[in-house]
This record gives sequence, structure tokens and C-alpha cells, in this order.
Amino acid sequence: MTVIKILLIVAVITLVMLLLRSHGTTRGGAFVKIGMVVFLVFAAYAVVRPEDVTWVAGLLGVGRGTDLVLYAMVVGFGFFAISTYLRFKELELKYARLARAMALNEADNREQRSTGTNPNNRPA
Amino acid sequence: MADPMADVWLVIPVYNEAPVIAAVLTHALQTFPNIVCVDDGSRDGSTDQILTTGAHLVRHPVNLGQGAAVQTGVEYARRIPEAQYFVTFDADGQHQVDDVLRMVNRLRTEPLDIVVGTRFRGDVTHIPKLKRVVLKTAVKLSPRGRRLGLTDSHNGLRAFSRTVAMGLDITSNGMGHAPEIVEMIDEKGWRVAEEPVTILYTDYSMAKGQSLLNGVNIVFDSAVRRNRR
Repeated sequence: MTVIKILLIVAVITLVMLLLRSHGTTRGGAFVKIGMVVFLVFAAYAVVRPEDVTWVAGLLGVGRGTDLVLYAMVVGFGFFAISTYLRFKELELKYARLARAMALNEADNREQRSTGTNPNNRPA
Repeated sequence: MADPMADVWLVIPVYNEAPVIAAVLTHALQTFPNIVCVDDGSRDGSTDQILTTGAHLVRHPVNLGQGAAVQTGVEYARRIPEAQYFVTFDADGQHQVDDVLRMVNRLRTEPLDIVVGTRFRGDVTHIPKLKRVVLKTAVKLSPRGRRLGLTDSHNGLRAFSRTVAMGLDITSNGMGHAPEIVEMIDEKGWRVAEEPVTILYTDYSMAKGQSLLNGVNIVFDSAVRRNRR
């Protein structure tokens, strides 16, 4: 197995673990930002000095620099997909709780209006 | 107030059930005086139908999914101090009042926290074949459910005590709440039992039933949720 294969597999596993463990925490958020900065710096560098990327690719056992960039893209996209999915799940839950609070409030007000009393003996 | 069922609350999630909901409620109200319907953003006049009966109504401002509706209904009912037993019941008339009576009676007389209905004890021939296969597969995929002795974790008919109602915190808005409740039973150590129930598969309920493909969503969401705990 070439070095790149090991590195890519480790990268994927690390990203998944990172997401599942610490997503939504401050630590998780910080790692995402560091990852983004590293990615941008790498992108800019690869544009300016593509021959260096090919050199790194050679070191890692990948034939061409473009292949290395492609592999990195695959991992990056997987990371993006998972983190977006989890972010949406969280938002959905918050949204549901907000809607629930509104619904209960509205039901209390309606019942109070129709009966003149609060059915649940609690301040509306 | 000598009604023997005054401490029981039926929670009924409703989504576009206008043709049948009033009849289902009128029938159930003869036995259970306390019913809360959670309208999950219906667009077909379900709420008007509910308001013609004596059932309580909570309206989601937008459609959130069945799991969210169940949670809302339980949160509504658990604020009422007299409420001791809670039942999740379907709006389309496939659940039987007699089954609920037996389940609540078990909660009253046996040391149990939650009683879950099952279609797989006794005669199963009334269940459509494809549905039977899918439901059996769902059970096989859940080691937790097997350990707890649950044969039909996707049955929507459940009766539970105040302890369970207070601890209930469903986070999957859609149909994924069934395995989530099984997880909660396991993690919180609630004492669980099954009661054989009859599900009436009418043309109406079959047309409304959840798509079998939705099982993929349920399995995926459960896997992610489990890993994040």
C-alpha cells in the first residue's frame, strides 16, 4: 500500500470521528476553521507552484499533482457533506422546538379565551 | 369526576386526516375524556374537524413530522398534574380503543413504565405481506429491540407512565422516532412490555401509510444519532 492510500484513509477516518464527536462544540468549530484556512492556503500555493504539488505527490506515491489535488477534494467534499448534514439536523431540531413552543402557547391562549380559565393552572 | 379514565391522555398526531378524524375522535372520546390532537400543519380542514369534537387541539405552525407531533402532544399533556398515563394513538382509525384499555390496565396493575403494541403476537395474516416483511426486517436490524424483547418497534400504539412522559425527548422529527423511543427505553432503563394489538388496515390507512422506502431514512438517521451520543 502506498503512502497516499494510508494517508487518505486516515484522513477520512479522522474527519468522520471529529464530526461525530465534537460537532457543534467550540472545539469542533475551531477545527473546521483551521481546516478551511489550511485548504485555502494549499489551494493558492498549488496555483502558484503546481510543480511543487507534483513533487509532494511524488513523495506520497501519487503519480501527478492533479491526482493529489483530486484526492484532497474528495476528502474535503465528504467532510463538507457530513458537516452540512449534521448542521441541518441540529437546525431542524431547534426549529421544531421553536415551533412547538409557539404551538403550545397558542393552544393555551385559545383555550383560555374559550373557557375563561387556564386549563393547566399555570400562567400563560 | 368519577370517570375511571380521567387520568389517561391520548396523544394523536394529525396530518391531513379531515375525512376520518372527527369520527375517530368521537368514538375514542366515549371512553377517554382527555384527548389532545397535534395538528402538524394540515391543509385540508383537519383542524376544523377536530374543533367540532371535545378534543384539545395544538397546532404546529408548520409541518414538522410525526415524531415532533408526538413530542408536542406529550409536552402538552404532561403539564396537567392529573395526567398519569399517556397513550400515542393514530388519527386514521387503525388503532382500537379496546387495545388501549388493556394497555392502560397493565400499566395500572403491573410494575411497568411503558407498554408497546405489537402486531406479531398471535395472528399476523391481516398484515399486508410486503409490510410484514419490511417490519420483520426492521426488528432484525435492531439488536436493542431484540434484547428488550420487542417484536414490533414501529408500532405507533404505546401507553406509558408519567415517568416516561417526563423523560421523553424525541429529537427525530420524522418517522425515525420509533427506534429513538426504543433507544430511550434501553438507556433510561424503563420497564417495558408488549401487548398484542389489532391494526385495522383499511384502504384509507393503507393509502396514507408511510412509504417503505422511508425505511432507508430511518436506518440512516438512527445510525448517525447512535454514534453521536
